[in-house]
Parts: sequence; C-alpha cells; structure tokens
Amino acid sequence: MIEFKNVVKQYPNGFRAVDNLNLLVHEGEICVLIGPSGCGKTTSMRMINRLIDISSGEILINGQPNTELPAEELRRQIGYAIQQIGLLPHMTISDNIAIVPRLLKWDEDRIRTRVDELLDLVGLDPDISRDKFPRQLSGGQQQRVGVARALGADPPIMLMDEPFGAVDPITREVLQAEFLQIQERVGKTIIFVTHDIDEAIKMGDRIAIMRDGHLVQYDTPDTILAHPNNRFVRDFVGTDRTLKRLGLIRIKNLMDASPPTCTLDSTVEEAKQCFVDYGAKSVFIVDKDDGTLKGWVDKEELKTNTSLLDAMYEAHWVDIAVRQDATAREALSAMVARGFRVTPVVDRHGKLVGTITLKALQDLVSYDPTSTATTEAVSNVG
Amino acid sequence: MTAAFGFFFLPLLEIKPNRLASGITVNLFEIEGDLRYIALFLLALIALAISFQEKRLQRGWTLVALGNLLIFLTLLLPANAATDLLDGAASLFEEGTRFSNPRIFTSSAIAFGLLGGYIVLFGGLRDLVAEKVNSGVRLFASAIGVIFVLIALFNGSFDIYSILVEFSQRGETLGQRFIEHFVFVLVSLAAGLIIGIALGLWAARDERMEDIILYAVGIIQTIPSLALFGVLLVPLARLGDQSFVNVFQFFIVTLIIGLVVLFFVSRIQGTLPESLRPWAIIIAFVMLFIPVALFTILAITFGFKTVLNVFLDPALSQTLTLVFAGYVLAVLVFWLDRRLDEKRSIRRLRYVRYGLTALATVGFIGLLFSGASQIIGSRQLADISVRNLGVSGIGTAPAIIALTLYSLLPLVRNTYAGLKNVDPAIIDSGRGMGMTPAQIFFEIELPLAVPIIMAGIRNAGISLVGIAAVASIIGAGALGDFILLGVNTTSVDLILLGAIPAIVLAVMLDAILQMLERLFTSPGIRREA
Repeated sequence: MIEFKNVVKQYPNGFRAVDNLNLLVHEGEICVLIGPSGCGKTTSMRMINRLIDISSGEILINGQPNTELPAEELRRQIGYAIQQIGLLPHMTISDNIAIVPRLLKWDEDRIRTRVDELLDLVGLDPDISRDKFPRQLSGGQQQRVGVARALGADPPIMLMDEPFGAVDPITREVLQAEFLQIQERVGKTIIFVTHDIDEAIKMGDRIAIMRDGHLVQYDTPDTILAHPNNRFVRDFVGTDRTLKRLGLIRIKNLMDASPPTCTLDSTVEEAKQCFVDYGAKSVFIVDKDDGTLKGWVDKEELKTNTSLLDAMYEAHWVDIAVRQDATAREALSAMVARGFRVTPVVDRHGKLVGTITLKALQDLVSYDPTSTATTEAVSNVG
Repeated sequence: MTAAFGFFFLPLLEIKPNRLASGITVNLFEIEGDLRYIALFLLALIALAISFQEKRLQRGWTLVALGNLLIFLTLLLPANAATDLLDGAASLFEEGTRFSNPRIFTSSAIAFGLLGGYIVLFGGLRDLVAEKVNSGVRLFASAIGVIFVLIALFNGSFDIYSILVEFSQRGETLGQRFIEHFVFVLVSLAAGLIIGIALGLWAARDERMEDIILYAVGIIQTIPSLALFGVLLVPLARLGDQSFVNVFQFFIVTLIIGLVVLFFVSRIQGTLPESLRPWAIIIAFVMLFIPVALFTILAITFGFKTVLNVFLDPALSQTLTLVFAGYVLAVLVFWLDRRLDEKRSIRRLRYVRYGLTALATVGFIGLLFSGASQIIGSRQLADISVRNLGVSGIGTAPAIIALTLYSLLPLVRNTYAGLKNVDPAIIDSGRGMGMTPAQIFFEIELPLAVPIIMAGIRNAGISLVGIAAVASIIGAGALGDFILLGVNTTSVDLILLGAIPAIVLAVMLDAILQMLERLFTSPGIRREA
C-alpha cells in the first residue's frame, strides 16, 4: 500500500511539478498515473523511491514514511523499470537481472536460480539468453529483460515508467497481455506511468489522471470512462470513450443466459409455445445432443410453414453468433455489421449459452446513473 | 617502377673516409659479385607471379615471398659487398685523404629497395585478404622478412654499416637513454592519468567547470614545448634553491589558507551579489592552486627520479623484472578467467589473480621506497634541498612537468567524453535500482567509458614518446640526445639511432595499451563483432 499525503514538489524557480497530491494505491493493484506531458506523473512516481526529493508532505509505504530508510536501501526494495530500459550494455543478461539481488548480497546459487526463474517468467529461454549481451536482443526482448530485472529481488512494489513505450504497437500489445498474466501470478503493487489512455484502460486497476501537478480524477477505468469528473478528463479519455468502455466488458457478464431455444426435432407447436413463453420475436434452434447453434426461426415464418425445418434460417454459428469471451465492443461491432438487434452468444465449441441485445449494450453505456447493469457487469470482469 | 628504378640506379652505398668528410657513392652495377645473378633470380620470381595472374592465392603467396626476399636482400647483399668496398677503400680516394674510421653508409637506393619490397609485399597481402586467409597467418607472412633481418642483425651480418658501428660504440648509453625515454613517458603518463581523469571527471560533473577545464588543457597543448621549458626554467630553478623543510612549511601554510578561503567562500556564496559569485570561486581556486601545483611538481619530479632509479639500479631492476612478471601473470590469469567465465565455469581463478596483483603491488611499492631512499641517501631532513629531490631549472624536472602537461589534453578530453557519453537512462536505472554513487561510477560509468579513456591513453602515450625526444634540448637525456647530436654533426646514422628505438617504443607502447584496452572492455560494448 502506497499513500501520498499532501505531497508537493516545488523547484527552486518556484515551479510546482506536483501540487498537494493525495493518493492511495491499494495492495496488489496496478495504479496507472496518466496525464499530458508535464502533469507531474513521472515526478510523482520518482518521489516514491526518492529519485526526486519531496518538498513537503509525505509518502507512506505500508504505513511507514519512505524517508525512514536510506534512499539506496529503499530503492532496492522497489522494482524499477523505465521506457529506455537502461540495461547495462557491458553486462550479460543474467548479470543485469542479478543487479539488485547482488546489491542485497544474495548468495550466488540463489541468484542463479532466481535469474533463470525470471527469464522463464518473462518468456525468454534461460539457456539461450542468459549469457547474451543486451545489444544481441531485440527491442521487445530487452523490454522483457527490463521487467525481469525490476522483479529481480521480488520487491512488493514496482515502479514502471512507460515500460513498454520503446517497442512497436504489436509487440506492445503482446507485452501488455503477458505482463497482466505475470501480475496475476505475482500480485505486486504497481505504479504504472503512461501517456497512452488505451494502455491505462487495459493495464490499470485504477487510473489517476493528473494535470498541472494536481490529481483530477482517481477511479477504476470504467468509472472514469462512464463518469468523467470534468471536461478535461472527458477530452483526455477521448470522444470514443463509450466504445472504450465497451472494450472493458466481456459478453458473458452481460448476456441473458436463458435464450429462447428449440431443438432441431421440435414440432411447430412446441416452437410456437416457445415464442409465447419467452415473448421473443426469434427463437434459436440448437442441436439436441451437444447444444450447438444451428440457426433461428422468426415468428412470422411459423405461420406459413408446417415444418420447423422449413421455417428456420440455417446458418453456421461462426457467422451469426458472438463468443462469450468477446468484449462488448466486439459484440457491438458484429451486431452493427450484421444488422441484428439480438445476437446469440456461444462458447468455444459453438454451444448456445445466451443472447445479447443491442439495447443491453446501449443501456450499459448510456449515462443513466440508475443503470445497475454497468456496475454489475464490470464487477464481474476478471 | 620508381622503386625499382631507384634501387638499380641511385647510389646504394656511400663510403666516407671519416665521419665528417663527404664520401663516394656506389650503385648496384658498380659492385662486384653475385648481385647480378640474384637480380635475375628476382626477375624470374616476378615472372612467376605474373604467370599466376588468374590464380589469386598463388599470386598472393608468390608476391609475399618476393617482397620478404627483397626486404631481406636489400639489406643483406650490400653488406656483403660493403666489406670488399671497405678493404679497397684506400684506392678509391685521392692520395693524402685522411683515414680515421672509414664508414659505410646506407644510401638512398636501399630505401627504394625497401620501399619496393614493401609495395610487392602489400600487393601480395591484398590478394591474401581477398582470398580470406587467416589474419594471424597474414601477420606472420608479412613479418618474415623483418624476422630474417633481425636474425641477420644479431648474427652480425650488418655490422659493417655505420649505424651499427655507432651502435656498438654507444650501445650501453643507448640502452640507458632508452630506459630514460621509457620512464619519461611512463611517469608523465601515470601522473597525467591521475590528474587527467580527475579533471575529466570534474568537467563531466560540474557544468560551471566544464568549459574552463577543457579550454585550459587545450591551451596547454598549443604552447610550443620549447616555450613551456622556458617558462618553467626560472620558477623551477628558484624552487630548487629552497630547502625542503621551507618548501614543505610553505606548502602547508598555503594549503590551509586555500582551504579556509574555499570553505569561507562556499559558505558566504548565497549572500554575495550575483555578479561577485564567480569571482569568489575563482579567487578560492587560485589560492588552492598554489599548494596543489607545488605538490604536483614535487611529486612528479621526485616520482620520476625514483622510478628511473628503480629501472637503472641493477639490484632494483632485477626485482622490477619480477614485479613486472607478476603483473603480466595476473593479466594472463584475468584473461583466462574471462575466457572460462564466458563458458560459465567457476570464478575461482579470481583469487589467484587478486593474490598475484597484491604481491606484485607490494613488491612495486617496496621498490619505489627503496628507490626513493637511495635518492635521499643519508641526508638529514634539514639538509635536504628541493634540488636533491630532482627539481632544477633545466634537466629532468621541467621536462617531466611539461610532458605531464602535454598528456593532459587527450586524457582529460577522452575521460570527459567517455563519461558524458554514458546514456543517462542507464545511470537512472542504476540509481533506481539502489546503486550508490560510487557503485554507479565504478560499475556503470567507468566500464562504459573505458574504451574512450584507453584511446586517450594510447593517444597521449604515443605523442609523449615524440615530445620526450625534444626534452633533450634542456638536458633531460633520453633518446633525443642522439638525435640532437646527429643533427649537430649532420650524422644521419646518429639521428636514426635515436629515432628507431623511439619508433619501436611508440609502436610497442601502443600495442600493449591496445591489448589492455581489449582486455578491459566488455564484449558487450566492443566496437566490432
């Protein structure tokens, strides 16, 4: 847990880089500091491990002021990864990762095991990369080593200043996803500085938006997207924040899990009864044995046809359904493209598990504070 | 073509009745003997090389062989002929010519012969490079001629040449002058290294001093060495007259005053008006400069005398050989350690290396002490004058001080550049991981700056070998003595006798420093590979 209490950073020329910052970062969470350049986000981060001195106020780490330990000792207990990576070019990869453990005087055997473990964790083969020098690695690999080095002595807290900033967008996406997986396992308390709102939404458990040294809003990504405090936040998160919000939500948390269903061998009568029961305009047809989606039938069609098979629109599930682990944003995209108001939701094998309506998506992102769907759906993300 | 023409038709040898009188020259065809047949043989080799026109590898080897042969024969054959020439010398000159030590001088044709030999050799080497012959093999192939020349040299085949006559007469002095020269370079380089790295570090760290320091060392470099000697003459002579105790008292007093002023100035800095602040600092530095310069002058001069003594004293120089061997061994172990470590083997050898280095260092310090005590001898402290420590207006003191000053530019500039070159992000990440300032300097900045600093050391070392030769003008000894004497008596041989060892010294120094540079540069930041 990291707590900023009335923290001020004022330079001799009177400029206040950080002005009276109060912020509470919870244990095991990723807190993203974001804002336009010069907003004080990096300064705030660097005050935690005292790379920059605080002018007034204090920062508490697990309740203890961070000025209690000598600065060097404090820093050895806090992981540190930066955009430029800063690997030492004259040391091998294993020596780079071993820097903090060596500073902490671990014994060599323990260090060797730890290095291999970390290389594995970040997806590098220890046998291949251990003795290489940084310049022999690609940019993405170097970033991975940077993360591994920050994790070196297993610090409870990590400071990351645009740690994936120096690679191409595709590699960045991969690294972000991998890092989230790692975080799931290690559960560090992380201060993550970025200027990329998409990265913030993706990585952050909470986002702290800063401007001119002030904290403008500190909330979960969804709350920030749904209820921006003011015009600045609204502009900063972008005009497509509705879509960005949808990108945060998985369909399985949003769908109606009891879809109107008939099996392939149902009679027309049974199907009619189904329309009555569900009050729906369409009923989905599934395979009797494995529940795979086979097509759907509209109410009007049943009036003219005597057989369900004649009345139904047959289609492969890939073409008409969305997967339950897709994001709401992807579902919306599919529905807009196909012109559906209701879309079936399937699992990986094509088994029908629910339906999602366009209205549900609209309700989700409409700014009606009484809408409960939002919080419920979001609280299930994970 | 020019080389061949020169070799065949320009004077090959010159015979002089004595060292000063002008002589008679002889060219290739005027010499009796087998030379013509050998020339034919060489021509046949050329023809052979041409016949391999299409096969580059064979042509390359033939040309290399031919080049080596040319180099060797150009020196050897005239020497054989010269013996006959010297025997019949009397008949060549007019009656009544005074003979004392008639000499055989190598003449311009020899130079052309060597030039031709090297042109052919390098032509062949180019073919071998194109055929991707191993560089070690190539190096050996290109050195064969020189090796044979050296063998013949030690065998006495060239003793007839005047330069070797001079050598046999002055060999012992030459050895001593060579050592003097070496010690000049060594001590000034060591002193320059300490001062230069300190100044370079200061310039890299302190923005206010950056320009001042870099300009200052740049200006020193532009002062002609003779002028520098002149400037140093009077103050050093005056200093030499003082007794050591007086100078030491003066040193302590000025040092205390300087420190007090510096402390005082740094305290009141904040209260001074903006315009006065730089002046206050400058005054403090000037006050400190006096004791620091005094100390430096005494330390360098005395250090030089001591080291020279260690080299020249028979007993001490024997121990020195042992110490040197210890260091070489330590470096070898270090290299071995590196090699093994790359294959992830244990690092036990480290202790052997530390042990050897410690032993050699203890030995070296002991040597310095005994060298120093020999200089002071049995004098009482009160009787020691500064001159006893080696400080005087002319001679070694101004020379070694000037050399140290001249070494500063490359050392300061390269240290500064090396440290400034280190990526700030790397230093930031080191700081962020909890390295102390000392750890950042020794484990990040210094290793990364080593290649550039070493380049500065090489640069300084080579130029010092050249400048040290000038120091003879003020009676400092060293190889310049021969060159000066040669210039004064228009004796090319004497000039060569001074110049060739100096060149050898420079090349050797560069090779050793280059080796050390490679050794201390991490493979992760090496330029090639």
